[in-house]
Amino acid sequence: MYFTVVAVNVGIFVLLALSLNIIIGYAGQSAMGHAAFFGIGAYTSALMTSTMGISFWISLPVALIVTGIIGAVLGLISIRLKDDFLAITTIGINFVVVAIFQYSEIFGASLGMTVSKPLFFGVKMTAPMYLTLIFILIVLTCLFINKMNKSWFGLALASIRNDEMAASSLGIDVNKYKVLAFTLGTAIAGLTGAVYAHFMTFIYSSDFAFIVSISIISMVVVGGIGTIKGAIFGAVLLGVAPELFRFLADYRMIVYGGLLVLMMRFQPQGLLGDNSFIMRNISKIFANIKKQKGGGQNAGNA
Amino acid sequence: MQEMLRVEKLKMHFGGLKAIDGLDLVVHDKETLGIIGPNGAGKTTLFNCICGVYKPTDGKIFLKDEEVQGKEPFEMARKGVARTFQISKPLRDISILDNVVAALGINEYTGFGSILKKSHKKEIVDKALEIIERTGLKEFKDKKAREVSLGYLRRLEIARALAINPLLIMLDEPCAGLSNFAINEVIDLVMQLKSEGKTIVLIEHNLPISMKVCDRLAVLNFGQKIAEGTPKEIQANPQVIEAYLGEEDDDHVNA
Amino acid sequence: MLMQQLVNGVMIGSVYALTAMGATLIYGILRILDIANAAAYAIGAYLGWYIYSISHNLLLAFLLSMILTGLIGVVIQKYIYYPIISKPNVIPIVPLITSVGLFTITGDLIRLILGPNVKEFGVVFKSGAIKIGKLIINPEWIFIIVLTAVLFAILWFILNKTRLGLAWRATAEDSEIAKAMGVNTNISMALSYILGYGFAASAGIMVGMLYNSISPTMGDIPSYKMLAIIVLGGLGNPVGTVVAGLIIGLAETLVSAYMGSILPRDAIAFIVLIFVLLLKPSGLVSKKSA
Repeated sequence: MYFTVVAVNVGIFVLLALSLNIIIGYAGQSAMGHAAFFGIGAYTSALMTSTMGISFWISLPVALIVTGIIGAVLGLISIRLKDDFLAITTIGINFVVVAIFQYSEIFGASLGMTVSKPLFFGVKMTAPMYLTLIFILIVLTCLFINKMNKSWFGLALASIRNDEMAASSLGIDVNKYKVLAFTLGTAIAGLTGAVYAHFMTFIYSSDFAFIVSISIISMVVVGGIGTIKGAIFGAVLLGVAPELFRFLADYRMIVYGGLLVLMMRFQPQGLLGDNSFIMRNISKIFANIKKQKGGGQNAGNA
Repeated sequence: MQEMLRVEKLKMHFGGLKAIDGLDLVVHDKETLGIIGPNGAGKTTLFNCICGVYKPTDGKIFLKDEEVQGKEPFEMARKGVARTFQISKPLRDISILDNVVAALGINEYTGFGSILKKSHKKEIVDKALEIIERTGLKEFKDKKAREVSLGYLRRLEIARALAINPLLIMLDEPCAGLSNFAINEVIDLVMQLKSEGKTIVLIEHNLPISMKVCDRLAVLNFGQKIAEGTPKEIQANPQVIEAYLGEEDDDHVNA
Repeated sequence: MLMQQLVNGVMIGSVYALTAMGATLIYGILRILDIANAAAYAIGAYLGWYIYSISHNLLLAFLLSMILTGLIGVVIQKYIYYPIISKPNVIPIVPLITSVGLFTITGDLIRLILGPNVKEFGVVFKSGAIKIGKLIINPEWIFIIVLTAVLFAILWFILNKTRLGLAWRATAEDSEIAKAMGVNTNISMALSYILGYGFAASAGIMVGMLYNSISPTMGDIPSYKMLAIIVLGGLGNPVGTVVAGLIIGLAETLVSAYMGSILPRDAIAFIVLIFVLLLKPSGLVSKKSA
């Protein structure tokens, strides 16, 4: 049971890291307030199921769409801003959204919101069922991102991440694609929020505070910006570590902060990022194997 | 001769600075027009106006017969105006091949729908490889753009420009900062494009190069055109000698 | 009463300006959004508290704390930020994440070393509050406003009248050109951090005095508010930062005084920021839009 609960929590972080990675990693936009959209999805679905009595299974796609729309609107607003300005504005959005949760009666204000347990064919959802659901969502998200990366859409994001002016000289509508990346990333975060709210059965505004955004960013960054494996690895590593090292509980934030600083200082591409020391060694090993087989071809980076 | 591009009474002011101040210019089909002039004459600003990076303060720009001033850069690219950048702008963390493929996708960037369309289809990759071969980048095709030297990045820019299948190719100082050897290679490439009947506008600081490559030259100074004609005519023009050649020594000091 | 609110607002605003000034100076030179400036704010407050509790000399507490915190800043700049930003093609988010990491570490380090509890600052002014009609002005307010004014005057002098300041401005304008002209950017960077972290430290002590409390988490809210203020001030523009600090201070005081608690006080800065950015993406006071 304990294992399952930890696994669901880690799974939720994996989804959040994967979705943030679309915005930060693939499109290269400094979005620093991802937890806000996680929260918007959570509160949207909680309102639907617990206040309006609508089914959890309907609230999932609605949370996805509503959060995506809000993400698109906020993206449209902040899209003119670059790098640092965008980072600060998204931090600001995180604060304002949390403040709205905390001060609005319909969201339970400072008391938080109790969320009713959803049913699955008449049975109350259990932790293993959530785990299955999360697992399916992770697989779907990975498949989606993989497809995206092999498409013109993925190439457009890669161009924008590298150089906006060059991208537009190749016929890419930079602003449009930035907003689309924002919409995708925030929508998936919203969907994740809906699952989170019903798994926890209680949500409170501070569950979605800026510090949560920092945790998600840490996961993406530690794993390796702009890769699926990096986002998953980072989320699992930072999600499981506090459970494994209970005695470290008191030092948790120091460890997080320290990891961030060390990673940025020595390995800004992340542990599994392009050209990181781990990936270099792995590709060396593969190159050696290929040589031994007499292939003699260069090992290309994936 | 048919007109490819016409610039009419173009003005581009930044506050009090008149970077371009009432410029008229015509580029004919299949010709190579050189834009020369001292530093700060408004050459790159002119490019940025034509490519949609800047919205002109006043004046008109026609591509063939269509009015295009004030359009977005991506629209200009789709209309067939390809450009290279003075400070080259490769897509650094993807391969040379992917850089060219990205340019071949010029008409595929439609929005959400483009998630469903695979980019590296065989015919696209083949086309990219053909362009890479032509521009002499074959041995680097799998290298990341950040890993190749400036000379090859300049060729990559030209390769990308070719990949959008342009009506008009605008080259912004493609030889700046290159070694003599690399300069000759880039010139060969431009001459090759010329012989294929491409329409080219070239900003080139180095007078011997522009004399060699261009059919006609337009001389800019203080945002205005002070002379226009064949390389021979320009060479003999006293105004040009004063405005441009007289400063050449200074430019060498700066460079 | 309006007058009272205005006085409160100006005072809070000038403390905000002081907090954000460090981040502005640093942004001007290194183009780093240094959230860790708010860590300097907390460190400074604790150092000031400690020095005051053994020496009972407030000025000494301010001076020594500012210098020590400034030196910490130089060390961080030299061994952490500089190597990061001098790599080719850094993504802008990298130094920002670094500063978030540094900030997280500091807050927790203070908590582990000195305990999570709120400590009383315990500065006692001998003279009582000054009353002008209904207007009440506490002596520590006067102290804070005067000290802030003095610090800003010193900053203005350094930036406008000294070679060091000229170097700073040249580097802020264009670090490549400054380098080519022989301006020593290393010194400009060190100066930014000494002044920047020192200013943040003094703001920390002031807030500690004002509310008679310091805590490991005291830098949390200023860290974000500071960001809003430096952006409003046009990123890297010292004068803009003072203006923006005052505007936010006044807006917060007036909104919470006259509109009640419809909005959490600490979200106001960001709401103002978001609105201003919508109207003018380069901030309230921008140097020039290139």
